[in-house]
Amino acid sequence: MTGQATALTVDGVSKTFKVHQERANSLKQYLAARGRNRYEEFYALRNVSFDVREGEAFGVIGHNGSGKSTLLKCMAGILRPNNGSITVHRRMSALLELGAGFHPELSGRDNVFLNASILGMSRSDITKRFDDIVEFSGLEQFIDTPVKNYSSGMYVRLAFAVAINVDPEMLLIDEILAVGDVTFQQRCMEKFVQFREEGRTLVLVTHDLSSVRNFCDRAIWLDHGEVSDEGSPTELVDKYTEAMLSNNVDEPLSEGARRGSGEIRVDRVEMFVDGLRVFRVRTGDSVTFRLHYTAREEVPPPVFAVELARLGGAIVTAPSSRDVDLRTGPVSGSGVVEIRMDDIALVPGPYAIHTAVTGYGRQHVYDHIQTALRFDVVGGDTQEVDGLVTMRPVWTIRGDSA
Amino acid sequence: MAGPGDDAFAHADIVRRLSGESRVGSLPVMSLRNAVAHRNLLYLLTLKELRTRYRKSLLGWTWSLLNPLSQMLIFSFVFLVAFKQSPPVGDPSGLEAFPLYFLAGLLPFQFFSISVTTSMGVVEGNASLIKKVSFPHEHLVFSVVLAQVITLVIELGVLSVALTIAGATVAPWLIVAVPLIALLMVFTTGVALALSAANVFFRDINYLWGIAAQALFYASPIIYTPDLIDIDALRALSNWGPTGSFVRAFHEVFYDNRMPSPERWAHLFVISFATFAFGSWVFGRLSYRFAEEM
Repeated sequence: MTGQATALTVDGVSKTFKVHQERANSLKQYLAARGRNRYEEFYALRNVSFDVREGEAFGVIGHNGSGKSTLLKCMAGILRPNNGSITVHRRMSALLELGAGFHPELSGRDNVFLNASILGMSRSDITKRFDDIVEFSGLEQFIDTPVKNYSSGMYVRLAFAVAINVDPEMLLIDEILAVGDVTFQQRCMEKFVQFREEGRTLVLVTHDLSSVRNFCDRAIWLDHGEVSDEGSPTELVDKYTEAMLSNNVDEPLSEGARRGSGEIRVDRVEMFVDGLRVFRVRTGDSVTFRLHYTAREEVPPPVFAVELARLGGAIVTAPSSRDVDLRTGPVSGSGVVEIRMDDIALVPGPYAIHTAVTGYGRQHVYDHIQTALRFDVVGGDTQEVDGLVTMRPVWTIRGDSA
Repeated sequence: MAGPGDDAFAHADIVRRLSGESRVGSLPVMSLRNAVAHRNLLYLLTLKELRTRYRKSLLGWTWSLLNPLSQMLIFSFVFLVAFKQSPPVGDPSGLEAFPLYFLAGLLPFQFFSISVTTSMGVVEGNASLIKKVSFPHEHLVFSVVLAQVITLVIELGVLSVALTIAGATVAPWLIVAVPLIALLMVFTTGVALALSAANVFFRDINYLWGIAAQALFYASPIIYTPDLIDIDALRALSNWGPTGSFVRAFHEVFYDNRMPSPERWAHLFVISFATFAFGSWVFGRLSYRFAEEM
């Protein structure tokens, strides 16, 4: 610990949620269960402790479901922890959602006043800062228009302008950098940098690792509701990325829908990178999919096929063993099929593998599994996020003034 | 718990502590203190409530007057023509006008029932706000009651003009109406707090309230006079039931132009503050779980 003062103390915080088997939503159901609601306790946070020092940018990273959002909501005072305490020593503003509480029928001006007062500002403070807020939002012309007529960009701009002008000594930010257009994001970022330079405290809760790496002084890694590690963002992000990629949790074959006559079946699908079994890959990795099959009886030469699709969406590619004229003899017993893709050019996101084993004419279906394996692609050698695949573009821009 | 001592001391007013043990059910006094501390929020929420209520209707504010007037016509027809009853005589005002008697009882009752219904809707309707921002939730309810009381005062003002034209001397009694309206607000806020909090957990409270409000309407002497009831117990209920007692007091002040009895004041005082204490307790116990239940 340095000599700096503490801005926020989280001390032994636990938060459980009740996972209801049958949730009584009506009085009748509740009385029928005689007040005994059957539920299981689920620990979203377990004994979490850390300090945020004054003037530092503090990051909280973790995968989805790690308890990040719960922690943030506890710090913001929206949820109450079951155990432990959170002490806030500085005037704090939490940006969980921009424009929460904006009323569409009211004008921009009225919403500024209402929103700022919800965030805890006094009337005279709002009046004093009103011009700054409007100026930052760049909506001078539209400030007396009902916000229902605003574009989503204008809406976010006004909301951010309010939130940032609440003049907090400490700012709690949740994935906020992901909203708005690029110019706006840049302005937010500049504002955050300015905030930090003014010696104010920032707490950033995100799974955007690059913003933690570039922006934070210190970070914690939250895993299954517990603090898994604490330290410098660079080290932590590397460890975190490593752990995410070599996550060896054996997920059972998630059988979405299976159909087919069943003489030969795919038992499971595995994914390998550099000989290591993985559930997440990076764009650009060389990935091998391994299909384990079992034939109950001898079947005439089958065709193996996989479909690689965005989870719940479009099929990206659908190669089959017939495309490459791979012929086997009649098949019996069990075995493996391997499909290697040397440059998996998928943009980051969730994906699924569907498998099919058919007769050579591809008319007879032995076995077809929808979502035999689901996996995630995380950012690798591309920054692209839209679309499905990267075509490895090479850019050139020519112009008179450049 | 705090950082270095001097630091914690300097910022004692902004240190906020959230923990598992503290913040048990808030006492009425505490929630009033809270309301004063956040009076700006309260003011703006009330303004929003008033501004948005009739924003999309053609007739705007006039609706708040048209509704009781149309009910007045219907019930006056039923009472005077269909059932051939003679209108109650105001003592000592000497009024004999059922429509005015009806309005003097209906307006406070409607204030009560609409405030409670709207409070449930406003708490439910602000789920996104409750889940994203930390603020005193009871202000949603307070703002509804405040917005409604403004409507009530305007309506009672119009009614007073009509009563004066009809021959009553209302003006000196308006000062008595002030504490009466204040007690009604306290009572209404109590019911609204309890039910709007419970409604977050059990959505059918909403429907049950619809039925209860109707039962209370007929249990109060709004479309009849208590002396028309032969059964003693029912007459007592209409006179001293929670809403009936308020309706009687409003009759006395506006229609009869006399001071409600000390028993009446005591009764109203006790039920108002008991209800408010109960409502605040329920709300205080439940509101910190709103964000996870919505």
